[in-house]
Amino acid sequence: MRQRLFATAVAALAAALAVAACGSSSSGSGGSGGSGASGGSTTLKLVAADYGTGPSNTSAKYWQGIANAFHKANPSITVKVTVVPWTNFDSEIQTDVQNHNFPDITEGDYFSDYAQQGLLYPANQVMSDPGRLLGVFKKQGTYNGVQYGMPFTTSTRTLFYNKKIFAKAGIGKAPTTWAAVKADAAKIKAKGYIGFGLPLGPEEAQAESLLWFLGDGGNYQNAQGKWTINSPQNIAAFNFLKGMVSAGDTEPHPGTQDRTPLWEQFAQGKIGMINGSPALVPIIQQGGVLKSSDWASVPIAGKSGPLTKTLGVCDNVAAFKPNGHGAEIKKFLDFAYQTKYQLQFDHEYDLLPATTAAANKLSSSPLYGSFIKALPGSVQYPSDTAWAQVKTQVQNQIGTAVTGNPTSVLGSLQSTAEKQGSQ
Amino acid sequence: MATTDPPIRLRRPLAARVATSLRPALWVGPAVALIVVVVLWPVIVLVHSSLQNIAADGYVVGGAGGRNFSTLWHEPALKGVVLRTVIWVVAVVGVTLLLSLALAQLFHQRFPLRRLARTALIAPWAASVMMTALIFRWALDPNVGAVNIILHALGLMHRLGSNQSDWLGRPGWALVWMMVVAIFVSLPFTTYALLSGLQTIPGEVYEAARVDGAGRWHCYRTITLPLLRPAILVATTINVINVFNSFPIIWEMTRGGPGYETSTTTTFMYILKQSFIGEAAAMSVVNFALVIVVVLFFLKVTRWKEQVT
Repeated sequence: MRQRLFATAVAALAAALAVAACGSSSSGSGGSGGSGASGGSTTLKLVAADYGTGPSNTSAKYWQGIANAFHKANPSITVKVTVVPWTNFDSEIQTDVQNHNFPDITEGDYFSDYAQQGLLYPANQVMSDPGRLLGVFKKQGTYNGVQYGMPFTTSTRTLFYNKKIFAKAGIGKAPTTWAAVKADAAKIKAKGYIGFGLPLGPEEAQAESLLWFLGDGGNYQNAQGKWTINSPQNIAAFNFLKGMVSAGDTEPHPGTQDRTPLWEQFAQGKIGMINGSPALVPIIQQGGVLKSSDWASVPIAGKSGPLTKTLGVCDNVAAFKPNGHGAEIKKFLDFAYQTKYQLQFDHEYDLLPATTAAANKLSSSPLYGSFIKALPGSVQYPSDTAWAQVKTQVQNQIGTAVTGNPTSVLGSLQSTAEKQGSQ
Repeated sequence: MATTDPPIRLRRPLAARVATSLRPALWVGPAVALIVVVVLWPVIVLVHSSLQNIAADGYVVGGAGGRNFSTLWHEPALKGVVLRTVIWVVAVVGVTLLLSLALAQLFHQRFPLRRLARTALIAPWAASVMMTALIFRWALDPNVGAVNIILHALGLMHRLGSNQSDWLGRPGWALVWMMVVAIFVSLPFTTYALLSGLQTIPGEVYEAARVDGAGRWHCYRTITLPLLRPAILVATTINVINVFNSFPIIWEMTRGGPGYETSTTTTFMYILKQSFIGEAAAMSVVNFALVIVVVLFFLKVTRWKEQVT
């Protein structure tokens, strides 16, 4: 009798607990309400990508310097800096957003579907003068006619080649067509080096693929905004790459190789040619193997001639709404985008600025001048809201196209993109 | 339930009786609450999520019925992933068991520095699995990895930086190496489980067998192995669950490989989760059901109740 009473009482308690748990499991959309900005201190959460190659030049140092200077000027606002490596950046931000653990400011990749969901502040609400940003990158951060993604740093891509290896392999000048690339890579391979460094691993496969698409006049989308991932030009580009891979002209298994390790191998003098950006320059200098006369950068080779429009990549700052810190974010962004900080970042990581003022300051620099001149005519990633998810799929899957069947891999990416767009 | 109360005495009021009977709950309560919160509630939320249509940024758009499961079923990569998971679990658990039987037998003998050897065996178990996987990944680097340099010095590797030296780039060999790492980290626990089982076998049984003229191998097969059955059972069950759910080894060594070519169901679910949350939840539900089914089946087949009582 006593045992039965115990069992009943426990069951009643358990049921009460279960009902309470189910009731509270549906947390409301949006995070905790905005903090009281009037009086009392505010903390801004800044999540930035790491552009450094090690602890000595990690981006955390750059951002912490700005955060400290900002805190001195605005004692009631503290900025908490978190820096994430590029390979993890997307999944980290996406996981945080999925868990409703929203940051205040992110710097790195930009997700236009967050603008679609109303998670982001428009640029004109968190920046006194969005017009100071380079106009060519406005479209990729715009959704429904309003700019949400603010460029922070930019770069353009060129073909880097190792002059010493070229001399050893008996190659006179840098290649300008795909056929020349293949021939040169084969000669370099015969000398025991890697002919062409092809990073199709998850870090930045979307950039490398686009450079080859552009070579044949292809792209992720056409001018009307329709997805063209499996267009004949793109498939032709990957068939060419597949040929190079099976001939051994590239490093083994490009689908598993990321950009940063391959750039480091180029800096060690092991690779003949690789597509790079100004950010490759400090890696070469730190490697200590190649002198500045041992390498050079030229326009990227296209199918029948060098590319006239190269890929212009910009990394964006996005300001998140759910924590309600709009006013503080505006103060911080106005502070952080000063020309001196833009130039500091560009000198540290050999990238290009995102404000017109800073770009003008650098346009006559011997190192940056040609890259800056290429910026206005550069090609961007799609500004479609489905791009964030398509990019993730491309990063994970496109490496299999050079060992498998490009038509089916690009076709499945195309159908994923169309499915995303229709949701 | 001693009836010390005289039969004519009135029973205490209901409230008091409930309060007294709930007293054991004070002792059992925390453990039960822990199980409910940490085990049961996540499972309920998981099943609930697998029936929802969730956008890639975490917003629940609405119900999805069985659509997540049917999308999962039609994933072209699913067949390969499931096959690979089966091979992964069977090979790792099987080889671990065989090697552990041998190691346990070894450590059961007396030899100098036995204690030191037994303690050293704990190292792979104590070290973080992710660190072990990272170290192996660097050791297999095509250009500077320790494994490749040794093979090259021995003349078994023609050239560093070639297709042949890029073990983790080739899905077949990557799987083999990941299994090596998994076996390496599973050996300590299994060996210790079997060792403790060996130590419970009384020596008289062997004496009796020797008197009857049984050879060493016959002894092992007919006495040791059957008496080790409870230990083998425990070790295998726990290993199957751990290896099936193993994430850090695959993630750190190949990230699931080019595409999904070295993924098991666990890493497949994780990669899906970045964009297709509902489908990833469906995969998780399938994983959960699979592991329960496998363990229950295994326990039934080996008639575990008879071992324990």
